[in-house]
This record gives sequence, structure tokens and C-alpha cells, in this order.
Amino acid sequence: MSVSNDQDIPASGAAGLAGVAAREATGGGRRVRRFSADLSAVGEPALWAFGGALALGIILISGFLFMIAWNGMTTFWPKPIEQVELRDGTVLAGVATRGGPYRVGEDVLLTLDDAQRAEIEGELGIASRTLYKTANFDLYGDDFRWVSDFEVASLSQPDDFWYFERQVWGVFIGRIAGLTVGGEPREMDRALLAREHTAARERFAQMRRLEQREIGAINHRIERERLAQRRAVLRHGEGSPQSQAAIEAAQASIAELQAEFQTLQAQVNEIRATDRQYRIQMEEVGGRVVDIELSQIVRLFPSNDLSLGQKIGIYFSRWWEFISTEPREANTQGGVLPAIFGTVAMTLLMVVFVAPFGVITALYLREYAKQGRITSLVRISVNNLAGVPSIVYGVFGLGFFAYTMGGSIDQLFYAENLPNPTFGKGGILWASLTLALLTVPVVIVATEEALSAVPRSMREGSLACGASKWQTIRYIVLPKAMPGIMTGMILAMARGAGEVAPLMLVGVVKLAPALPIDGFYPFVHLDRSFMHLGFHIFDVGFQSRNSEAGKPMVFVTTLLLLALIVTMNATAIIIRNRLKRKYADGQF
Amino acid sequence: MTDTATIDAAQGYEPTANHYKTSDQGVALDIQNFNLWYGDKQALFDNTLPVQKGLVTALIGPSGCGKSTLLRSLNRMNDLVDGLRISGKVLVDGFDIYNKGVDVIALRKRMGMVFQKPNPFAMSIYDNVTYPLRVDGVTKKSILDETVERSLRSAALWDEAKDRLHDSALGLSGGQQQRLCIARGIASDPEVLLMDEPCSALDPIATAKIEELIGQLAGAYTIVMVTHSMSQAARVSHNTAFMYLGRLIEYGETTTIFTNPKQARTNDYVTGRFG
Repeated sequence: MSVSNDQDIPASGAAGLAGVAAREATGGGRRVRRFSADLSAVGEPALWAFGGALALGIILISGFLFMIAWNGMTTFWPKPIEQVELRDGTVLAGVATRGGPYRVGEDVLLTLDDAQRAEIEGELGIASRTLYKTANFDLYGDDFRWVSDFEVASLSQPDDFWYFERQVWGVFIGRIAGLTVGGEPREMDRALLAREHTAARERFAQMRRLEQREIGAINHRIERERLAQRRAVLRHGEGSPQSQAAIEAAQASIAELQAEFQTLQAQVNEIRATDRQYRIQMEEVGGRVVDIELSQIVRLFPSNDLSLGQKIGIYFSRWWEFISTEPREANTQGGVLPAIFGTVAMTLLMVVFVAPFGVITALYLREYAKQGRITSLVRISVNNLAGVPSIVYGVFGLGFFAYTMGGSIDQLFYAENLPNPTFGKGGILWASLTLALLTVPVVIVATEEALSAVPRSMREGSLACGASKWQTIRYIVLPKAMPGIMTGMILAMARGAGEVAPLMLVGVVKLAPALPIDGFYPFVHLDRSFMHLGFHIFDVGFQSRNSEAGKPMVFVTTLLLLALIVTMNATAIIIRNRLKRKYADGQF
Repeated sequence: MTDTATIDAAQGYEPTANHYKTSDQGVALDIQNFNLWYGDKQALFDNTLPVQKGLVTALIGPSGCGKSTLLRSLNRMNDLVDGLRISGKVLVDGFDIYNKGVDVIALRKRMGMVFQKPNPFAMSIYDNVTYPLRVDGVTKKSILDETVERSLRSAALWDEAKDRLHDSALGLSGGQQQRLCIARGIASDPEVLLMDEPCSALDPIATAKIEELIGQLAGAYTIVMVTHSMSQAARVSHNTAFMYLGRLIEYGETTTIFTNPKQARTNDYVTGRFG
């Protein structure tokens, strides 16, 4: 077709342009005439599918977060105590926890009168029921009781029911029958009770401090003397003059420490004797009375007679107890401070191990290693390591770190303590090393990406200035890649902090007797086992004697774990963004 | 046209036509029978090019003719490329820079280099200029301060940058960034300044400034520049080398190359008949 096909061109000013358009329109005439394209060609249905998938994802995630947040946030809110009178005459008091419809069994139906049976059969055999937390485990042997609606004769919320959170045996629900102050029985009086309870809790704290801190310190020193004695025997041989001298010295100081121990013990006994004079008599709904020391009660309040301000006060005091104290009652009560501490310490320790290890490996792989088949093989293996089930790392950590490495360390440095293992068992060091191994592929991959994203022109500019390869990496490449490396660290941290399965093999325990960091030399005890929020959730919810009681704690702990991970990640992200601003400011 | 055909017939090779301007300071870089291979592919064929001290030498030629490769061979930047082989010599003060045992880092310190795209580091202007000294272990502040002022003055950037020396270099305009790179290139007081199409990413005004700067630096430094712009080569260089398909076709005084080239292929190129 000739270009000078002049008939098509309108005689307008923009002759050339109009000519082109006209020629195309006429040239392709038959095909172009239909202006509405085929639906599948436009891709509209695909767009709906993508949008729908995204919306579904968002709904799932927000629903999940809402469920955890709602359950977690409401657990500590004080709920009313209901007194339930049943048709058979039994009376019980408890806090309604949950309920719902259920199918009534035949044997139960037979026990009911005709009217009731007819009513239930009218509902197709479905009745609803409520689970009451009746507490008083020491008296009832159970914490909970299901009550069907048709059993209930009457419901009430008497003002004089109190909710007692005890140091042992869990919650008690009942009335206050009387007080004993200084050995004298006294009339119940709220002001007096509050005053005496505060004083009793102070005595309790004092006894705890003496027993745990001071007597603990003495025990620690006695143990050290014993080990010194044993070390001398191991080094110089049994019966040698040196070991004899060491034994004598050790025995002398142990005797001294024993004397100190006796003094402290006497002090504790004295306080305990006083403490026994201050008691409370609690009467459960059936009339049985439990008489305990006031100091054994963590918190007590009349659930049905609280102002909003008091409820808020209780709510926050329970939160504070939760994050600032140690667990009690097989972890179902009290706080999770050791678990928070263990989680954070383990994660940070993991970062300390994984950061240099991952970055150095990636530096070598990307910058120094000859890019060839072997490098690719290594790279593929590293990527695949990220897909290995985490429990496998746990097994490796236990077998290699704890038993092999730890065992050797014990042989070499802690022989006096054998056969008790020091490092030859699970501990926070081995746990964080195991997790470092688990997360190192993430760091390596991210670092490699970040390194390869540094423009060649930067490296060449530096090399042309007479910088060595190492100087170029140190001053130009690494700073530029730092935000990307940080992203890898954040991903690694998120993965590591949420991992539980391998930890169960290499050092996490249900209840750790001591934190990995304390006041005794050498202050940081990397050999110690520790508690972890993730394992705590598993343990409280599914491993305790009373998992129904632990259930609310599962949500609270989950909420806390999520908050902790979000906080750690947010901190890392803030640091990364600072770096980004510093190194990439106004690039173009 | 017939001459080109003859050369093609003779496998595209005829001894280089030489009529370059010599410097009274002698030769800065003596490239002798230099060949270079990327793996199996030969990129440079037997180049012989005595770069004159204190003069501006322009390398021109169509894309892919090897002029950048030749330039990057002069401070051994090509060492980074895998599978690179060379033969021939590049003499600096009588020493072959490709000898075994030559300290490449020391060599690069004697040659500043400016790249196609401005590549300031993500640091302050001050740190950019002092980078060559700092990697050399210079920490004394008075020396660094003095270097910054001298280099920035030489690169005609002092007046614009003196009040913001500690601001990020990435905040400068493209032309300023390139002048900063030149300042960085001359900070360690090298003998030779290698420029790889230093104006290709710049606008005409910035280009004019850089060209003016090259004119001022000539004499104090030996400058070898690769350029795609023949008018630029004509404006700023003393000698021009025309390369084609890895061969040095003609190396001569700039005015002669552009007005009266000795080789027909050079004539075709400078008159715009190909390339």
C-alpha cells in the first residue's frame, strides 16, 4: 500500500496525523470495528477473583486477630458470681464462663418430670447449658460444673460473695465467715480486711525474699564450696595434701554458711509464726469453712459489689500480676515474667549468633566465591534448609549441641559437677544456636539479594579510587546493603521468636527454677533451661491438670506473644528505616 | 569507499596511521601491542597507543569497538571480569602494569577514574572526596581538609559545595555529582585521569561545564577520555584515537583527524557515513 494515498486524508490542518489514523482505521476495518472486547480478554473475572482472594485473606487474618485480642483482653475483667439453686435442692456458686445448646441424653430425660420432658422434646431434644467456674478445687475436686437450664430453679447474685485468688489451690468462691487478727477473732470489716491483707502480703513478700534470695544465695555458695572441694580432689588426686587442705577449707566455710543459714531460717520461722495469727475463714456456698492465712490470698474482692472504678483497678492489677510475676498453680495462675524474659533473651541471643554467621556466609558466597557449580549447589542447599521441618533442627540441636558439644565442655571444664550435666543438656545457649541454624538460610538469602542489588557502578567507583576489595565491601557495599540485610534479620527474628517445636528438645521447660541472668557470678548462665511463651501456651492450654482453667490464659499468653513479636519486629523495622534514610536519601 | 573495501578484504587490518601530537613531558602510558580476550572472544587486537603526558587523548569509535575496554585496561578494572586474558604491555614509567606482582591497588591510586553515570557514594560530599585518601590510611584532618578544598576547586565545585560539605552527596544535581566524581578522581593527586564517557548522562549545560573543566585540568593531568560525541572530542582533546572492531585505526592530532584523516574508515566515521 502506497504511503501517498491522498484521498483518505481530510483537508484539515493536522493532515499528517489525521491521515495516519484514518489509514489504520480503514486498513484494518473489519477486525477493529467491534469496540467491546471479549470478557475473558479484558480479564475482569480474574480481577474479581484476585480481589476476592485478598478480601478473604484479610477477613481471615482480622478475624483471627480479633478472636485472640477479644478473648485475651476480656479474661482479666472481673465477672459476677452467680448463686444457682437447682431443682433438686443443691445450691452452687460460680462464674459463668461459657455455654451453648446440647443434645440431652436419654438417661437424663428419664429423670425429668413430664412437662419438662415434653418441653425438651418440643425442642427436638436440645437444651442449653452453662459452664460455671465453681472453683474451690480443694473441696469439690473440680473447678467447673455444667448446669443445664432445665435444672435451674433460681438464679441470684448475692452481694456478699467474694472471689479469692489464692497462692495455692486456685480460686475460692464463697462468703467471709470471719477474720482472725493477731490471734483474736474479729468481726468482718472491709477496711480492716484491706489493711490486714496488705500487711499480710508484705509479710509474705518478706518471707519469699528471705527464702528465695538470701537462703538461695547461701545454698549457691555452699554448692560452690562443694564443687571447689571436688575439683581439688579431681585435680590433685584423692588423699593428696592439696586436696586435703582444700577439703578442710571448704568444710570450714560450709560450716560458717550453715550457721548463717540457721539464722535466716530462724528469722523466717519467726515471721511465719506471726503470719499464722492473721487468718481468714472462708465459707463456701454449701456451708463448709476453709481457714487459711491471710497472706495466702493474692487478691480478694466481692465480685457482685464492685464499682466500675474498682473493676478497672482489678483488671489492671491482674494484668500487672500477669506480666510481672512468676507463674503458680502449674502455670495456670500468676504471671509469665520468666517466659517473657526467656523468649526475649533467647531471640536476642539467636540474633547475636545468626547475624554475623549469616552475613559472613552470604558475603563469601556472593563476593568472594567463584560463581560456579559448587556455589550454586551450596546456594540451593541453603535455600532448601529453610524448608526442613523445625523439629529436625531440634533433634540435631539436642544430639549435636547439647550431647556432643555440651558433653565435651562438661568433660573439660565442669568435670567436678558430673554426672550432673552443666552444658550437656538443653539450655538457652543451645536453644538459641539451634534457632540460629534454623533461621540462617533466611539471613543468607536476604543478604545475598541485598548484596547483589548494590549497583556495580558503586563498587567500580570505589575500586577505581584505589580501595581494596575488602575496603569496598566494608565502606560501600555493606552500608548500602544494610537495609536489605536488616529485612532478613527481621524475618529471621519473626520466625525464631515464634518457633516452639525445636525448643522443646533443647532447653525449654515448663517451669524454670531460675532465670538465665541473675545476681550470682558469672551473672549470665547460658547453660540454664528457660521458659518460653510459645511453650507456655502449649503447656497451659493442653498439658495442665486443669486445662479448662488454663484456657483463658492461653489467649492472654497468645496475645502477649503476638505483642512481643510485633514489638521486636517494629523496633527492627524502625532501625532499618533509619538506615535506609541514611544511605538512600535523595538517591535520584 | 574503495579503501574501506580494501581494508575489509585484508581482514580489516592495516597498520595504524600515526600522526599524534607529542608532549614535551614524554609518554604517560605506553600501550604496546595490546590484545584482550573475553573468554574466547577477542575484543582488542594489537593496539599500540603511546598516551602523551599532560595532553587530553580522546578515544572515539562506534559502539562496541573496544574503546571502553581499552580505557578500563589502563587501571586494570577489567580484572573483575571472569575469563579475561591479555597479551602485550601497558608501560607506566617503564614498568608493565600487567607484570606479575604489580600492586593493582597502588596502580589505581595513580589513576583517577570517572564513569559514565555519576556514581557518588552514599556519604557526605567531604567523605566522597576524601575516600581515596581514607582508604589509603590518611586520617590527619588538616591533610583531608586541604585535599577537599583543592580537589573541589580543581573540579569547579568549591563555590557550590563549600557550605554543604557535610551534606549527602546524593543531594547534588547530576552535573554537580559528576564534577564531584572528578574531584574524587583527582583527590589522591593521580598522574592520569581516565574518563569513560563522562558527559553521556548529563544535560548540555552540565556537559559544557565538564568540558571546560577538562580543558583546565589538562596539563596538570594526563587525561584519557572515551566519548561518543565527536564534537566533544574535537572541542576538548589534543589527540584522538579512532578505533573500530577492536583495532586502533588511526591515532593522530585531533584537528587532523577531523579535517584530514589519513584512513578512509576514519573519514567515513567522522563525516558520519557510518557508526
